[in-house]
Amino acid sequence: MIKLEKLDREEAFRYMGIKGEPPQNVLQAAEECERLILECITPKFHWIFAEIEDFSEKGVILSGHRLILSGNDIAAHLGGCCGAVLLCATLGEGADRLIRKFQAEDMAKAVITDSLASAAIEQVCDIAEEEIRRRFKNLTWRFSPGYGDFPLECQGDFLAAVNASRRVGVFLTEGGLLTPTKSVTAVIGVSETPLNNSRKGCGGCNMRDKCNFRKSGGHCNG
Amino acid sequence: MDKKERFRRLLAENEFVFLDGGMGTMLQAKGLKTGELPELLNIASPDMIEEIHREYIAAGSQIVYANTFGCNRFKLEETGHSVSEIISAALKIAKKACGENVLAALDIGPIGKLLEPTGALSFEEAYEVFKEQVLAAKDADLAVIETMSDLYEAKAALLAVKENSDLPVICTMTFEENMRTFTGCSVPSTALTLTGLGADAIGVNCSLGPKELEPVIAELSRWTELPIVVKPNAGLPDPVTNQYDLTAEDFAESMAKLIKYGVKIAGGCCGTNPEFIKCTVKKFSGEKYTPQGKFSQAAVCTPVKTVVIDQPRIIGERINPTGKKRFKEALRQNDTDYIIGQAMEQINAGADILDVNVGLPEIDEKEMMVRVVKALQSVTELPLQLDSTRPDVLEAALRVYNGKPIVNSVNGEENSLKTILPLVKKYGAAVVGLTLDENGIPKTAEGRFKIAEKILDRALKMGIPRQDIFIDCLTLTASAEQEAVMETVKALHRVKTELGLKTVLGVSNISFGLPNRELVNSCFLQMALTNGLDLPIINPNAALMTGAVRAYKLLTNIDRNSADFIAAYSGSSFTVAASSSAPVEKQTVSDGLPYAIENGLKSESAKITRELLKTNDTMEIVDNMLIPALDKAGAEFEKGKIFLPQLIMSAGAAQAAFEVIKEHLSKTGAGGVSKGKVVLATVKGDIHDIGKNIVKVLLENYGFEVIDLGKDVPPENVLDAAVKHDVRLVGLSALMTTTLASMEETVRLLHENNVNCKIVVGGAVLTPEYAEKIGADFYAKDAKETVDIAKQIYC
Repeated sequence: MIKLEKLDREEAFRYMGIKGEPPQNVLQAAEECERLILECITPKFHWIFAEIEDFSEKGVILSGHRLILSGNDIAAHLGGCCGAVLLCATLGEGADRLIRKFQAEDMAKAVITDSLASAAIEQVCDIAEEEIRRRFKNLTWRFSPGYGDFPLECQGDFLAAVNASRRVGVFLTEGGLLTPTKSVTAVIGVSETPLNNSRKGCGGCNMRDKCNFRKSGGHCNG
Repeated sequence: MDKKERFRRLLAENEFVFLDGGMGTMLQAKGLKTGELPELLNIASPDMIEEIHREYIAAGSQIVYANTFGCNRFKLEETGHSVSEIISAALKIAKKACGENVLAALDIGPIGKLLEPTGALSFEEAYEVFKEQVLAAKDADLAVIETMSDLYEAKAALLAVKENSDLPVICTMTFEENMRTFTGCSVPSTALTLTGLGADAIGVNCSLGPKELEPVIAELSRWTELPIVVKPNAGLPDPVTNQYDLTAEDFAESMAKLIKYGVKIAGGCCGTNPEFIKCTVKKFSGEKYTPQGKFSQAAVCTPVKTVVIDQPRIIGERINPTGKKRFKEALRQNDTDYIIGQAMEQINAGADILDVNVGLPEIDEKEMMVRVVKALQSVTELPLQLDSTRPDVLEAALRVYNGKPIVNSVNGEENSLKTILPLVKKYGAAVVGLTLDENGIPKTAEGRFKIAEKILDRALKMGIPRQDIFIDCLTLTASAEQEAVMETVKALHRVKTELGLKTVLGVSNISFGLPNRELVNSCFLQMALTNGLDLPIINPNAALMTGAVRAYKLLTNIDRNSADFIAAYSGSSFTVAASSSAPVEKQTVSDGLPYAIENGLKSESAKITRELLKTNDTMEIVDNMLIPALDKAGAEFEKGKIFLPQLIMSAGAAQAAFEVIKEHLSKTGAGGVSKGKVVLATVKGDIHDIGKNIVKVLLENYGFEVIDLGKDVPPENVLDAAVKHDVRLVGLSALMTTTLASMEETVRLLHENNVNCKIVVGGAVLTPEYAEKIGADFYAKDAKETVDIAKQIYC
C-alpha cells in the first residue's frame, strides 16, 4: 500500500468546473474533505509486464494472457513496442464509503470528495508510473480501456491478467464497470528504443467534443 | 468412519493438520493463460489436476482443495458447462487422488463481483450463487471458503454451506499489511462474525507471505477460540517475471513462527508448490500444537468497526417511530433518506451503536427492516441493534446484517425463548434479555434477577456464549411507580456482579409524565452507570445525556487523560442551554432565509425557517423565499458566477429549511408542498449515481416529490414506477458509454407502453443529439437544467 500525503486540489477544482480562485466556503470544505479522504483511502496498485506476441487482425496479442488489446487506437499506441505494462490502481472501498456517506449527509461535500478522489487516483497512477519507469526506460503514456476505440469490454480479461481481484481488490460489475469506483486500468507500452509519442494528447479522447478544458484552450494530463 | 466426522476428529486432536498449496500457479507453470478458467481443466485434462493433488498428498497434505475455486455461474457463463458438472468432475478427481486417508474439500472462492453497497451484486444473489455450488458438492468431505476480502460475501457463502449441507467448513479471508482486507474489514470483525456464524475453523489465506501475516495471525488469535488456519503466499510476486520471492525453506521457517498463536491448520497459496508443503510438514514435526486461550470479550461489529463493551457504550434510540409523527410518515412514504438522517445525527452526537425499529402496523415491517438495515450499513460504520417484536422481521434483519449485531430482544416467556434464541445462535448475534415473563414485569429486584438467570441458562444451553447475553432490568416510569425505580437499579447491580453479564437499559422512560425530563433522565442514567450499566439506550442528541456518559467515563478513569471528553467539548460552547435552540434575532428572520440559502448555511436556514413558521404560511415561505433564493443561485450558476459545489451548498441549505417545513406539516396534519412527482433512476448496469443524486436534491428543493429508484435500475422498474405514481416526468442518468444501451432500452420500454410522461436524460457522455436519437424528450446538461424542464412541465 502507498500513502498520499496530499491531494491535487487544483485538479479537483478543475473537475468541479471551478475557474480561477475557488470560493472560500468551497476551499474550506475541500480542506476537510481532503483530510477525510487521506484518512480513509487505501491506495494500491499492481502491474505486470507482458511481451507483445503479435499485432494481429484481432488486436495486440500478449504472451501468456487471454487478453487481446483490440482496436486501432491501442495498436497505434503500442506501435514500436516490444511489450506492455498492464496497470491496475485503486483507492479502495474507503473512498466509495466516504462519498456515499456524504451523499446522505451533505451533497456538496459528496461532490467535492468525488472530485478530490478522482484527482487522487490519478496521483496513484503517477506513483505507479514512476515505479514502472525505474524498471523500463522507454514508455508510452497511460492508455485506458474506453479511450478511443479501445473497448471497455476487455476489462474482465484485463483484470484477470493483472490478478486484480487478489492483488488490489478490484472487480468488474455485470455492467462492465470497475469497483471500487475510484479505480483505473491502463496500458503502458514498453519499447527497446526511445519513443516519440510518450505524451498524451486529445486525439483518442471520447470527451474531446464536449470537453470544457479543450474549449477554453487547455487540456488535461499532459 | 464418516469422512466429515474424520475432519471434526482432526480438529479435536492435538495435532497439526496440513492443507495443500497453490493450484493456479501450478497450472500457469504448465501453460494456463491468465483469463482462462483453471476449472475447465477438470474436464479437459483431469489427469493433470489429479497429478497435482497426488504431488501434494505425497508432500504431506491431509486435505486437498478440489479444483473448484472459481466454479460459479458467472465465471462459467460462456463455457457451455454447468456448475454441477464441473464441481462433480473436480470432486471425482480429488477423491480419486485422496484415497482412504486424505480429505477432499469443495473450494469456494469469491464470486468475482463486488457486493452491494459498493458493487452491484446483492447479498441474496450472492447466496444463490454459493448455494448452487454447495448443492453440487454432495461428495465433498468438507467445504472451504477462501480468499474472501468482503465479510458480507463470506457470510453469504457460510450461510449457503450451513443451510444446504452438513459439511464442516473452514473459512479464510485475505488481509493486507494494514491488517484489513481490501474492503476494509478488520481482523476482530472477521473473527467475531465468522465464529458467530458457525465456521469450524477460521483464518487467513493468500495476500502476503507468512512473515508479513504474523501480526494478522497474532490479532486473530486474540479474537476467536476456533482452530486457526493459515495458508499464505510464497511471498510477493515480481511484476516482470511473476516469480514469488520465498524459497520453500524460508516459507516453512516463517510458518513455524506462527505456531505460538494457535495455528492448527497450515498450507500454502499462490506461488507455493508441493515442496513448500513438504518443508512445512517437516518443520512442524518437531513442534507442538498449542491452542490459543479462551475468548470472553463482549463485542459487536460491522466489517470496519468493532465496538468492545468494556465500558459504557451509547445505543442511540432515535430510529424508532414510537410517538413520532414525522418518522411514521417517513416509513409510510418509504423515505429511507429521512431515517439515514436520523442515524447521521446520532452518530455525530456520539452514539456507539444504533437501535433500529421500523415497526408500524400499516407497512410491511420485514421488507422495510431489510431496506433500512441495508441503507444504514451503506453509510454508517456503527453496529446495529435490530429491534422488533416479530421473529420473522428479526431473522430477515439478521440475515442481511453485515457483521455481528445485537438482537432486541428475548424475554423470559417460554415462547420468546423458543423462537428468538435459536435465531441468535444461528446468526451469531448478541442478545438483549428483558427481565419479564408470562406474568409481566416482577416488582422486585429479586424477581427480575431470577428471570435474568433463566434467560442466561437457556441461552447457554443453546450454545450462545455468555458474553453475548445483555440483560435489561427494565425502567419503569417514576411518576407512576416511584418505588420501583430502585428495584431496577438493584436488579441491574446484581445481574452485573453476580451473573457477570453486560447490562442494557432504556433510560428515557423514567421521566415520562414529569417536567424537566432531561434532568431526571440524566440523574437516573448516572445512578445506573454507577451500578454497572454498560449499554444505556438514550437519545444521543440530548447533550446532557451523552455528556453524562462522557463525564462518567472521565470520572471513573476509563477516559484516560480525559482525552475523549476534551475532544468532545474543548473549543465548543457547550452549556446546558445550548441544547435548546437560541432565538434568532428578529430583523434577520425575514431577509435571513434567502441569505442563508445563497450562502449555503444549513443550520441557520433551519433555524430561521422555524422562526418564520410562527408567523408565516408554509407555501408563502416556499414560494416567496425558498424558491426565489434557489432561482438566484441557479441563475448565477448558469452565468458561471458560482460553481457546482456552491449551487449544491445552497440546495443543502434549502433542504434543511424544507425538512423543518415537512416536520411542521406532519405535526399540524396539513397537506404537503408537492409541486409534482418525478421518477429518477441511474440506468441498469450503471453504478455511478452521484449525478442523479445532485438532480434529486435540486428537484426536491423546488418542491418536487422525487421517487428515487437508485442505481443499476432495470428498465421494467422505471416503467412500473412511472405507471404506479402516474408521473409526468422521468429522469434517467448514465455515466458510461457502455450503459447508454440500457438507457435507450428504458426509453423504448416507456414508449412501447405508451406511458404518458416526458423523459429527460443526462450524464457525462450524453449529447443532445444522442438524447434525440434514443427518443428522449429532453437532454439536460446539468441539474439546474433538469429543474427548468420539470418546472416547464409542471408549472
